[in-house]
Amino acid sequence: MIELKLNQVSKTYANGVKALDNINIEIKAGMFGLLGPNGAGKSTLMRTIATLQEPDTGELYLGDINIRKDKMNLRKVLGYLPQQFGVYSKMSAEKLLYYFADLKGIASPSEKKKMVEYALEVTNLIDVKDKNVAGYSGGMKQRFGIAQLLLNNPKLIIVDEPTAGLDPAERHRFLNVLREIGTNNIVILSTHIVDDVKELCTDMAILNGGKILSKMSPKDAVENLNGKIWTTITDREGEVALAAQHNVISSSFNQDNSLNVRVFSDLQPNENFKQAPADLNDVYFVHLKENESATAKNA
Amino acid sequence: MFGKILKFEISYWFRSPLWYIYTALLFIISLLITALAVGVFDSNTVTVTSTTKINSPLAITGLLSVFTFLIYFLIPSIIGSSIYKDYKSEMYQVLFSYPFSKAQYLLAKFISSFLMTLLIVFFSMVGIILGCYLPGANPDMVSEFNILNYLQPFALIVIPNILFFGTVVFGVVTLSRNIFIGFITVLILVVMQGIASAYLGDLDTKTLAALLDPFGVSAIEFETEYWTVEEQNNNFIPFKGYILYNRILWSSISLLLFFGIFSAFKFNHSPLSLNLFKKKSQRITKRNFGGYKIHRTPKVQLNFSKLRLLKNVWSFASFELKYILRNWAFISIFAVGILMVFLRLTIGYQIQGTDTLPITRIMISLSRGGIGLFLAVLIFLFSGMLIHRGNISKMNQLLETTAQPTWVFMSSKFLAILQMIVIIFISVILVCIGMQIYQGFYDLEIGLYLFDHFLVQFPNWIIYTMLAFFAHSLIKNYIVGFISLLVFTIVINLLPQFGIDQSIFIFNKISGTSYSDMNGYGHSLSIFYIYKIYWGLFGVALLVIGSLFYQRGLAKGVSGRLSQAKKRFSARRKLILATSLMLFIGLGSYIYYVDNIENERYSGKEIEEKRVKYEKEFRHYKQMEIPRIIGTQIDLALYPEERDYEVNGIYKLKNKTKKNIDSIFLQTSDDLFEYDFSVPTEVSLVNEEFDFKILRFKESIAPGQEINFSFKMKNKENSWFSNNSPVHHNGTFLNNSILPSFGYSENYEISTEKIREKYDLPNKESMASPHDSTALGNTYISSTADWIDFEATISTSPEQIAIAPGYLQKEWTENGRRYFHYKMEDKMLNFYNIMSAEYEVIEEEHEGIKLQIFYHKGHNYNLERMMDGAKKALSYYQNNYSPYQFNQLRILEFPSTYGSFAQSFANTVPFSEAIGFVANVDEENNGVDYPFTVTAHEVAHQWWAHQVIGANVKGSTLMSESLSEYSALKVLEQRYGEKKMRRFLKDALDKYLSGRRFESNKENSLLYNKNKPYIHYNKGSLVLYALSDYIGTKKFNAMLSNYIDEVAFQEAPYTTSLEFKEHLKKATPDSLQYLVYDMIETITLYNNKILNYEVKELENGKFQVDLTALVSKYRTTNYGEKNYENYENCEITYTENDHKESAVIHSLPLKDYIEVGVFTENEKGEEEVLYLKKLKITEIYNQFSIEVDKYPTSVGIDPYNKLIDRNSNDNRMEVEN
Repeated sequence: MIELKLNQVSKTYANGVKALDNINIEIKAGMFGLLGPNGAGKSTLMRTIATLQEPDTGELYLGDINIRKDKMNLRKVLGYLPQQFGVYSKMSAEKLLYYFADLKGIASPSEKKKMVEYALEVTNLIDVKDKNVAGYSGGMKQRFGIAQLLLNNPKLIIVDEPTAGLDPAERHRFLNVLREIGTNNIVILSTHIVDDVKELCTDMAILNGGKILSKMSPKDAVENLNGKIWTTITDREGEVALAAQHNVISSSFNQDNSLNVRVFSDLQPNENFKQAPADLNDVYFVHLKENESATAKNA
Repeated sequence: MFGKILKFEISYWFRSPLWYIYTALLFIISLLITALAVGVFDSNTVTVTSTTKINSPLAITGLLSVFTFLIYFLIPSIIGSSIYKDYKSEMYQVLFSYPFSKAQYLLAKFISSFLMTLLIVFFSMVGIILGCYLPGANPDMVSEFNILNYLQPFALIVIPNILFFGTVVFGVVTLSRNIFIGFITVLILVVMQGIASAYLGDLDTKTLAALLDPFGVSAIEFETEYWTVEEQNNNFIPFKGYILYNRILWSSISLLLFFGIFSAFKFNHSPLSLNLFKKKSQRITKRNFGGYKIHRTPKVQLNFSKLRLLKNVWSFASFELKYILRNWAFISIFAVGILMVFLRLTIGYQIQGTDTLPITRIMISLSRGGIGLFLAVLIFLFSGMLIHRGNISKMNQLLETTAQPTWVFMSSKFLAILQMIVIIFISVILVCIGMQIYQGFYDLEIGLYLFDHFLVQFPNWIIYTMLAFFAHSLIKNYIVGFISLLVFTIVINLLPQFGIDQSIFIFNKISGTSYSDMNGYGHSLSIFYIYKIYWGLFGVALLVIGSLFYQRGLAKGVSGRLSQAKKRFSARRKLILATSLMLFIGLGSYIYYVDNIENERYSGKEIEEKRVKYEKEFRHYKQMEIPRIIGTQIDLALYPEERDYEVNGIYKLKNKTKKNIDSIFLQTSDDLFEYDFSVPTEVSLVNEEFDFKILRFKESIAPGQEINFSFKMKNKENSWFSNNSPVHHNGTFLNNSILPSFGYSENYEISTEKIREKYDLPNKESMASPHDSTALGNTYISSTADWIDFEATISTSPEQIAIAPGYLQKEWTENGRRYFHYKMEDKMLNFYNIMSAEYEVIEEEHEGIKLQIFYHKGHNYNLERMMDGAKKALSYYQNNYSPYQFNQLRILEFPSTYGSFAQSFANTVPFSEAIGFVANVDEENNGVDYPFTVTAHEVAHQWWAHQVIGANVKGSTLMSESLSEYSALKVLEQRYGEKKMRRFLKDALDKYLSGRRFESNKENSLLYNKNKPYIHYNKGSLVLYALSDYIGTKKFNAMLSNYIDEVAFQEAPYTTSLEFKEHLKKATPDSLQYLVYDMIETITLYNNKILNYEVKELENGKFQVDLTALVSKYRTTNYGEKNYENYENCEITYTENDHKESAVIHSLPLKDYIEVGVFTENEKGEEEVLYLKKLKITEIYNQFSIEVDKYPTSVGIDPYNKLIDRNSNDNRMEVEN
């Protein structure tokens, strides 16, 4: 089975932002979710794996491909969908896919045809394949991005926030495709939609400030928190007070303007709290919170 | 609100680095160009001098129009971007919801950016001002600082033009929301203006051009076209006439446009778009269910073999090409380019209003000039657009993560650009061929088209494409890259002005591939290819470096890209780079060696210094008396295949002085390898630097003694790199200057006064005065001989005919070579030519004279006209002047690469293939039948130069060029009648008047003319024709005949213009003596004008025409200052109705005879003279009452423009019905 290995990968931008901070990670075949807030370094990490960016230090391997030295061989097995992209104007989806098929090295015309048809079919673009991609709506364009990604039977798929612009139907369709590919290949999916990860991923990592805060399977992560999440209902002033005393990981308004507050604690904080079943959101917030307070202490 | 936005915008620009870059750029360019013009860089280049001042209002207008021209291209990114930036940053969605009005928004945006643009021009003016006062500036070229000199052009040219361009660009960008369209609009406007002014620049349409030129340049040119140096230096731009109308017209157009933009602009979301085919609106829904069933992913085989990648290069290239061809920027630039070619071809190549036949050579040279700029723009632009195509469309991350090597991307884009060039070439060729066929010309040379485009022009553009790929790989923004490339190209072409003038230092410099029908590309092609290989190697190095920096991935900043480049610098790339650079430097060094060490090479500056040194050290040799050549016998072997020559010659010399001559000054050359005198000599001085020797005769040469000088010469071997011989493969044209000569060469001295001053050389007239009786010992043709005997044996290859002056004695073949023996039996000047080419010959006999034309096969279009010209000319001159001294006359075609001229040697007239032979004379049309007139002119030289030759003093060309031109005019008049003369004379008047504008020194009268063509040809022909008209042609020609009798074939002292003037005066009646003074001895101009007319029908059926006309005349000084007083300080004036100072007309006192004419038109539309008389005029204001038979259509004073008058158009007035 193929494996992606990152070894002490660091990257600091010219403006001083440390986007990747000594990343060590091993990713096996299957769906891998990369969770993290805005600016956590998710995109930098993905672009680095996708050969678009050079890290300052560190090594990256896909199987025995040294990614930094042997970009071409990685690109042959890579399917990459950036967070934002545009397309050549005045070109239909089908024509552009044929172009990408060429770029990705498919030589045989019959294989090219089959593959392009397949990609159009699974992304539900068959009906609009003759329309200019530049005129597509956001979701359609996103699906086109997925279509081009599939063309070379990639072994390493990197998709940066792919579901962001999709409606529920398309989101499901897309996740299904990914699941299909993910059985034998590595799929790295960055998102801040926790549900994406929950539904699909066999493994996940939480990234913040260029560091990996945790890496485990979503199932294990949730289980680890079970019994440690407490919830209560309060008002605004109450929330402020609670935050001062307890480890509040999230709070959300109810319709009656009261607040639902969740607290992470080994023990019941007080009698007003009820135990709640942990979910992946809690995992996310708990790790961020931990990281935040650690950083604050250091500072 | 308006004020706030304005303030915000202006402070935005002051914080924008772009604005500072533009300002700095314009400032530096202005400073440098001004500094160049005033000679700041003289320390390493040729001295710059001029009689015109650099900071006169007119000169500054010229400079500013050049600089604002650059600014037009910046306008899209300043005025255009003022609103565009709100769109680009998507700020508009927020801004348009703010509470300000459309007017406030638009006006503030426009005015702020307009002011910032003007500020750039302001700094450019500061550059000009500083440039004038840099250390080293030649103070003679700078007049006293006057701020008005700058403000006037600024107000008159800069502000209205930037207003116009600014408005157009502002409108286009605002409405289309695309800055690029603004850029293309500027390009198209600029080109259209160029086309329009070229198209309308003709004599008859100048006024229309003056009005329609949005730049106002044509208007200013029109109003100042005949300004003398004096006027150019001191006058302000006249703000009246066409300049006024033009400025008013274009400023109002600007305002209207702005108003139009204002009403079209809306605060809304989508840009104005032109939808020619509106699509039906329909409701679209997508499939929201199903599709969960996943098909098995098809398996594909990926192929990245070398072969596959190469195939990819090809298929991606056509993919990219499609993008170019569908891009409307390409379409519009291409269309304008083709239109330009088309227009150039339609205008054709005119000489004196006559077209040239659309032969392929000419079509190619016209189309090259038309498409060149557009090709460069398209290559520079689309190289960038292709390289950054991924970035521009933001698809780069998808492209860059595919496994195609970078070289596949680069090569395919490179190939696409080359394919684009091919498509443009094919289109140009098709347009050319189409034009030839349209004109009914079927001698198409397809092979030449293909060769010239694909094997000559193509390599040149490939090298530019390499440069473009280098620049765009390095520079991220393709517009910046594009502008950098344009600036680079301009700067490169300016290098020679800074003293860097060797082609190995000037990127892709084209070193001559001149083509002639006779000689093909000749030997210029090998040098051309060597330079193309040389720069091609450099181009390869550029491409390798470019590939290191080619944008792939997200490396940012200089250091990021450098480290990326370092990684990409693979062994193979290192090898290619090193090899190409080594070959480049190696080849360059070898060229340098050949040009500078093997052969001595001097820069312009060094030559200037050499000339100074020669004069300072050796001028005393000028006094040395020389035995004069009285006979020449040469034995010349030409080897056209190898382009070699060998000559054995003997000069017969005679001491014509009254003293003994003890030594001789011999001018030597590298080719002269053996020489000997028939008397013993010894070398007393050898000078290698200036290639001369002084030889002492062991026994001095007594007066009257004759000796022989024999010599042998041959050229150094020619190589691919250097050309050491004047021989051509086909169409060799040599003259006596290649053979040895004697005596200090005064012609080598610097003649420009100002440069002489700079080097402390004594003040000297570059030519002696005709009053100087000691200067009359030489003709202006030769300083070593008077009349000589001449004999030549020339051998050449068997296909060619070799010709020299004289009569053919014998022709034979020996050892596979063809020999010709010529001998001149009559007196001739020491001035002869030797030609050899594969000729066709036609021959006729006329009045006992054998006439021959030797021409290139296929160039038989105008042989009859030339033959006719020769015959009519011979008859006229023999009847009116004197007998022709030879019994044979030959016209010989020579390759256009020598120039477009004809020249007259004894009984031999070389005639360029570029003129005459390929003229397309249309007798219906206005044009001059110049194959006919040029022939007549050259034949006239057999009299006016080869019989009568003036001394080497000022004014002598009056008796050669002016009289030949006069003679040709008379022959033309006989052949075509007076009507054709008007075109010819009008042309001559225009050329004379505009020639004065470019006078580099001072204008002299005909009597003292220093070989200035505009004086001896144009003024000469006008004035002599007018004199013959006033005196009577018969009387005038009789005078010429007398003059010939007196001076033909004379020995020294030679005749002068003063002597000719005396003859002329004798033949002129007293009442017309003033004409000789006005026309020959001084610079006198008239200002004649019809004020109004009245036509009355009389009772007897006739018509009475009452005319009012103003007549005035003035003389000018050598620099063009006007003078209205005669030698008695008398002046007459006339004041027009109003009593303003400006209405006073001054004139020299008048006792002049001036033609007054009344004309009508017959049924055919031809002009018919009703009345034409020379009337005596003594007043400025004149009224005439004339009775004519028919109703007149036009009236005029000096209606045929026989007199010199700066405004020849107001001499006539059309009569309204």
